[in-house]
Amino acid sequence: MGPDIALAATATRVAANTAESTKRRLRQRTQHNIERYAAAGPAAIDARLQELQREWDVERAIETEAPLMVLAGVALGAAVDRRFLGLSAFAAGMLLVHSLQGWYPLLPVFRRLGLRTTREIAEEIYALKDARGDFDAVLQAGDPIQRAELAYAAAAPR
Amino acid sequence: MFFMFSSTQQRVAEHSAAESNARLHEQARERIARSLRSGRVDARLAELDREWDTERTLQTNFALVTLASLALGAFVDRRWLLLTGAAAGFMLQHALQGWCPPLAVFRRRGYRDAGEIERERQALIAAYRR
Repeated sequence: MGPDIALAATATRVAANTAESTKRRLRQRTQHNIERYAAAGPAAIDARLQELQREWDVERAIETEAPLMVLAGVALGAAVDRRFLGLSAFAAGMLLVHSLQGWYPLLPVFRRLGLRTTREIAEEIYALKDARGDFDAVLQAGDPIQRAELAYAAAAPR
Repeated sequence: MFFMFSSTQQRVAEHSAAESNARLHEQARERIARSLRSGRVDARLAELDREWDTERTLQTNFALVTLASLALGAFVDRRWLLLTGAAAGFMLQHALQGWCPPLAVFRRRGYRDAGEIERERQALIAAYRR
């Protein structure tokens, strides 16, 4: 799907634009969560998986912040001085940079606040599902296609 | 404060037609079987990383509509700014609640959210996991 041109890969473009030290801290936190909830048993894993479904990721935060900037610029541009439309244009331009390439002016802030990408959240989700035994049947199946079928079913959000 | 909003991972599927969701899963399972049969799992995993998800598509769409309507509003007729405002309102609605007008179009054209793409990836990885 999408334009077939050489752009940053969707799933990894935010991580590619995040400082190594920040990524390391996020990874440590994810690893710590996995160990903590896996050790706490199935009920704790269930509750944690519910939480992870709701956790705000980087895209959702940007999709909230950017239109608020655009709206502020349009309101001020219409009511006060049309030069405020420049704020809207700047916000839209930065969002385009983010969607195409991954970077965003507020990305370092959001990342330091602990916002993760879908891929990073998924790492915790699938590790906890694994710890709960969701993939036990997958490992017992011999045929790769059958294994993938079972894994696809087991990967359903619950 | 986050509990008052819809689930991040589920909000796209919850605001898409059931047939669109079902077809996307059907196609994912067919593709998984096909990549395993042809033995091109690594290439498929790289493709999945590049696949444009609903968020990237909606963000690009919103940014372009905003820039175009701002230019028209500033230089042609300021009523075009209403389009800018509407687009921003819908982007916000998508972020907080999940739905927005272009979503149905993109879903029918096969765009998935990042969680759905990740699910196909996990299934492919599990096929050869020890």
